[in-house]
Amino acid sequence: MEAAVLVIISPLLTAFFLGISRLYVKKIFFPLVTGSAIIYLYLLILVITNSYPAKVYSIGDWGMLGINLMVDPFSSLFLLIIAILFLPFIIFSMKYTKFIKHDYFIFAYLMIAGISGMVLTADLFNLYVFLEVSSLSSCALSLQKKTDRGIEGTFKYLIMSTLGSFFILLATILTYYLTGTLNMAEIPLAFEDIPFKIKSTIMAFFVFGYALKIGLIPLHAWLPDAYEDSPIPYNVLSSGLVMKSALYALIRILYIMFGIDFLDESGMLTIVVFWGVITFLIAHCLAFQQSNLNRLLAYSSIAQIAYIMIGLFVGTEAGLIAGSFHILNHAIMKGALFLVVGIFNYSLTAVEIEDIKGLGYKFPIISFTFVVASLAIVGLPPFNGFMSKWLIVEAALEADFVYAAFFILVGTFLSLTYYLKVIVTLYTKTEEELLIEEPGLSLKLPTIFLGSLCIVFGIVPSLPLSLMNKIPKFLLDNGEYIRILLGG
Amino acid sequence: MSRLNERFKKLYKIGLVITFAIFLFFLFYDIHNLDSDGKRYLSEHYISEGVQETGATNLVASVLYDYRAFDTLGEATVILTAATILAFLVPITKATMFGTTFKSIVNQTITLIIPFLAVLGAYLLLFGHLSPGGGFVGGVVLSVIPILLTITYSVDFSEYIFKPAQKKLVENIGAIGFVLLGLLGVFTGSNFLASGQAPFGTGSAGEVFSAGLIPYLNLMIGLKVGAGLAIIFNSLIKEK
Repeated sequence: MEAAVLVIISPLLTAFFLGISRLYVKKIFFPLVTGSAIIYLYLLILVITNSYPAKVYSIGDWGMLGINLMVDPFSSLFLLIIAILFLPFIIFSMKYTKFIKHDYFIFAYLMIAGISGMVLTADLFNLYVFLEVSSLSSCALSLQKKTDRGIEGTFKYLIMSTLGSFFILLATILTYYLTGTLNMAEIPLAFEDIPFKIKSTIMAFFVFGYALKIGLIPLHAWLPDAYEDSPIPYNVLSSGLVMKSALYALIRILYIMFGIDFLDESGMLTIVVFWGVITFLIAHCLAFQQSNLNRLLAYSSIAQIAYIMIGLFVGTEAGLIAGSFHILNHAIMKGALFLVVGIFNYSLTAVEIEDIKGLGYKFPIISFTFVVASLAIVGLPPFNGFMSKWLIVEAALEADFVYAAFFILVGTFLSLTYYLKVIVTLYTKTEEELLIEEPGLSLKLPTIFLGSLCIVFGIVPSLPLSLMNKIPKFLLDNGEYIRILLGG
Repeated sequence: MSRLNERFKKLYKIGLVITFAIFLFFLFYDIHNLDSDGKRYLSEHYISEGVQETGATNLVASVLYDYRAFDTLGEATVILTAATILAFLVPITKATMFGTTFKSIVNQTITLIIPFLAVLGAYLLLFGHLSPGGGFVGGVVLSVIPILLTITYSVDFSEYIFKPAQKKLVENIGAIGFVLLGLLGVFTGSNFLASGQAPFGTGSAGEVFSAGLIPYLNLMIGLKVGAGLAIIFNSLIKEK
């Protein structure tokens, strides 16, 4: 299973070589970036197809003494999202970025390395280290335009992200102090005789730290500001992967280290479901007021993350499958939406909703992609968003969270109002003559690819669901995960 | 009324800090009273078996560069990211430093100190597996050289001696070298970052050429940290 460690190493190596290439050999920039992205895609597919049954890779051959990597279906879901988003991101950014290219791609590769490290590692401190790598380079990416608003937003992002890291590090230190180990399989075994009070305090630190990174209301304020004036292809990766990787770490820690029984006993499941309902109701209302497309999509991201939280925290098998499916679907839908906005921004520097008036007739295919993706994110059949949202509602009803299921339907209507507002503006005829820079094929292809995936996964949901059906086995019952990691 | 309001705001912040401190105090008090001595098998193993297993007589080096070398790679990447961000944020090439000019006695002493600093840094790097020291410490000592040049002479002079592009190159070479040394384990049929387990062995503990990969990893981390800190300092001190 060498491929698992290569998935982390190869983007790191690419980033370091890009750093040299910027100074001395500028010519190899293009083949280096694209070639490495294609090799990376191959490695990802290799790991994903071998992810079941779960495998362990011990770094330095130290076994329980050192750091282990583990590939299981939940982590391979995130590798699948990287595989779907990364190549379109690279192709789109090549054309889109008019500013310094080298730094942008160095940070992009570092960020991907950090995220894949977070997803694959089975060690608590290693998780924190890669979290720092990914969030620091994510801050750097959102800064790339260097406008005043961009710097202000990034500053807020940096402060909040550091505060979150502080709490996560504090909880990690306390865990090590109590258990004397950092291995995710040994911690739950050592946790059994720790008093309830101390355990729930540590859990509260973890939840607070990661909720800051995920951006749940009222800890969300940095997110729309950071998105407002950042390069738009970065927003695709940010909402699709950076926020989700923090969510991944939270789920991994809560379900494996603390276990579902403790979550139920301490009332964490009820709290997070209630928190999620509040979050998406407020986020939908805030999104309705926005006139800037980036901010609107940012608030919509917060609301969708709340749906995912509800799905993952109802604490049943169906809920875990539904939540994981929505993670994948949201990455695809939001990716398509942001790329369309990116094309509008590239062609006529449009960021406000009023700027895109009448563009539906000038860019017929791109606008149609926008309509498809926004209807999918609202949750209308036959698109993929409908499938996962329906599964979340079913899971919530099954686990007796009737109010959550009801408010998800209310939230659907709320989100329909603001997405319809954008679509109506898009197809309103105007007499204005616009100066349009024609977007090339390299901008259009990634967008259409993600848009068509919305339809494909809506019609054939069994395709991704066959991977996700195995996820609850490793999360609901942490004994399975522990057994494999301890070398059963 | 407004004065009262202001006072309340101040007290509110102080109160928050104190509440958090009291909360942490009670938490640590509870944790301290727990009996957790039986759960120290990992650190005890490092202390009792570390020298035999890794071949390094410096215990810290054996944990940093062998047992948990993957963490070190991540931490060094964080430093590289920070240095790249700062170099990207501050692209000003002409800089006016604060106008302090030192007497010639300071300048002469600095030129005398620098060779000794270089020797000390090299010693810390190369003997990191035998005595206290290691890549991070050695790198910091080496990075003091360009920092001293910047402070006593000027940014321009320091960047004339050590060019920014060269520092960037050294930093990246250190990072690439670390990963390639790790891949050496994969090529010889063992796992990533394996040193004692790979066929080249640990050697006898206490000699200069021992402890498997640890001295070379020390060197790479030292290059990376030294160059990275020098870049960070020079980027921060530049002003418009």
